[in-house]
Order: sequence, then structure tokens, then C-alpha cells
Amino acid sequence: MNISIKQLFGRKPKSSSIAKQRLKLVITQDRLDVDDRFMTRLHHELAEVLAKYFEFSVNSVQMSLKQEGNSYVLVADIPYKKFHDANPR
Amino acid sequence: MGKVIVVTSGKGGVGKTTTTANLGTALALLGKTVVVVDADVGLRNLDIVMGLESRVVYTSMDVIDKQCELSKALVKDRRVDGLTLLAASQKNNKDDMQPEEMKAICSKLQTDHDFVLVDSPAGIERGFNNASAGAEEAIVVTTPDVSAIRDADRIIGLLQHAGIEPINLVLNRFSPQLVGNGSMMDQADVLDILNIDLLGIVPEDLGVITSTNRGIPLVYEDTSAGSQAYMRIARRLTGQRIPIPDLEEKGFLSNIVNWFTRNR
Repeated sequence: MNISIKQLFGRKPKSSSIAKQRLKLVITQDRLDVDDRFMTRLHHELAEVLAKYFEFSVNSVQMSLKQEGNSYVLVADIPYKKFHDANPR
Repeated sequence: MGKVIVVTSGKGGVGKTTTTANLGTALALLGKTVVVVDADVGLRNLDIVMGLESRVVYTSMDVIDKQCELSKALVKDRRVDGLTLLAASQKNNKDDMQPEEMKAICSKLQTDHDFVLVDSPAGIERGFNNASAGAEEAIVVTTPDVSAIRDADRIIGLLQHAGIEPINLVLNRFSPQLVGNGSMMDQADVLDILNIDLLGIVPEDLGVITSTNRGIPLVYEDTSAGSQAYMRIARRLTGQRIPIPDLEEKGFLSNIVNWFTRNR
């Protein structure tokens, strides 16, 4: 919140906040012992399932792991064009 | 019965040895009995950083090999009462020592010293295992950059797995100017990532270079920012409640933005 307001005043985000963002992601993966291959596989399989219900571009899907307190959260950002029912009744 | 504290970091070059030398000296200046132990077998440096290199006769390896008594291997620092060094062997390597052997040395040392500070080598392998084997507590040293913090996180995981508690953080080479202009993560950022307690912040102090050149730890002169930071950390280790000062230098614009956003 604080950072986004500050960013309105500056042209680009400060390198310290980029460092923090990058570290949080990589450390969460380190702690969970999750590697890039795992994330790519999850990305593909998730996209496969989602494609049954939504029309979207696979490349636009953003996935990341975050730590919130003592638990981990998988965040998937999927901008979709429209909803479609693959199995109409 | 004293405390055995391992000083470690994961990454090399972040200031473990400087921190061990200064905290050991500072604790002795505060009247505590201290032994600093170099656990970096094969790449010893604590002796030269402390200016004691010409007086090392025996090492921990000689004690393990029963070449000499433990008390005889301790090099007395003549500049301050109550401070001794146990040097590492330079001609051996890390596999020549067993974690149990280091543990036995530490438990003997803690019976007649208030503090046993063990300077760990970089890395997560045998050298780290040896250094942390006898430790009850840990000080993790990191600098505010991505590689040091990532490695610190890995080391914290290993220390937690080994049941070492508490694990406290020393944030070293902190630059108030760089934090002020957004080019360096501040203590809140680092603590948010690492999630351990902060023992202290040591500002970047070029005096460390000359003090290392001379073999005289910074804390012998009490004027520099680094020296004062190490003295505060040592006082906290003795149980005194010393607040951590806010070292961040805020620019004019940043102050205005903070003023407008402080309630959000």
C-alpha cells in the first residue's frame, strides 16, 4: 500500500522493493523445496483444467507462491476473455 | 555455566569473523569472560583479524589429537581481561574434525567462561555442522543484499532443524544513505523476509578496514558508528535492554510522502 502510493511520485519502483519482492518469491520456493520445473508443470496442468471453463491466453497466467504468516499461499492471476461451458447439459 | 553461541551466515564475506572478534572483545570489555573459537579449519582468520596471529602455538586440532591440554591452547588477549582465542588448524581440513569433538570442546569451555563465541565458516556443509554442533544459540550475520539474505534463510532453516534457539540476526554493513534513497532494503524488509529477532544493526564503517589491517578490533575505540553498534549488541547479549536506534536517513521528499501516508 505504502509502496504503491510512493510509486505514484517516482518514475519506477525503487530497487530495494524489487529486491524484496524477488527474494520473497525465491525464498518461499526454497523453503517449500519447490523448483521451477514443478512450478512450470503446475502452471501447465492448471491451465489445462481452466481451459475447460474459461477462454484465456496461457501466457497471461501469472502464478506465484507467497508466505503469509506461518502459511503459504498459491496466487494465480488469470485474466480471462470469457466463460465457456465445455460440457453443456 | 556460560552460553555457547555460533556466529554464522551461509554466505562468505558478510562479516562473521569481524562480528565474532568485535562481540568477543566487547563482551570482555563489559567484564565478561569470553573465549572466541575459530571453527574454520584450514582457512583460519579469527587470529589475524584479532591481531593474535603471532601468539598462536596450539589449535583445536592439537587438543583433539591430545597434543595439548585445552587450557594450554587458549591464547590470552593481553589488551583486555577475560578474553582468549582458540585457533583453528591451518594445515588440516574440515573433515579432520568431528562435530562431537567440537561439541566436547565447547561444553568444556562453557564451564569456565561466560560466553563461548564460535566463528563458523561459510557454507552449509561439514564446517558449519562442526561449528554449530556445540551451540545452544546462534547469531546469523547478513548484509542487506539478495544473495546474503537468501543464504541466511537457508542457514536459519538448518539451525532451526538442529534445535538451536534463539536465533538472532545481526544486520551488517547497513548504509543509512542507500536505505534513505531506496537502493537498499531496510531492517523491516529484511526481518519480514527472514522472520527472526533482530539483535542489532551495524552500519557500514570503513574503519573496519583499517582496524583489520592493524589487528585491533573496532570496539577498542568507542567513537566510530560500527564500534558503538557492536558495543550495543554486546550489551544486549548480556541481557541489558538497549533499544535499536533508527539509522535510516530520510530525505526531504520521503519525509513528506511518509507524512501523508503514515495513517494508511
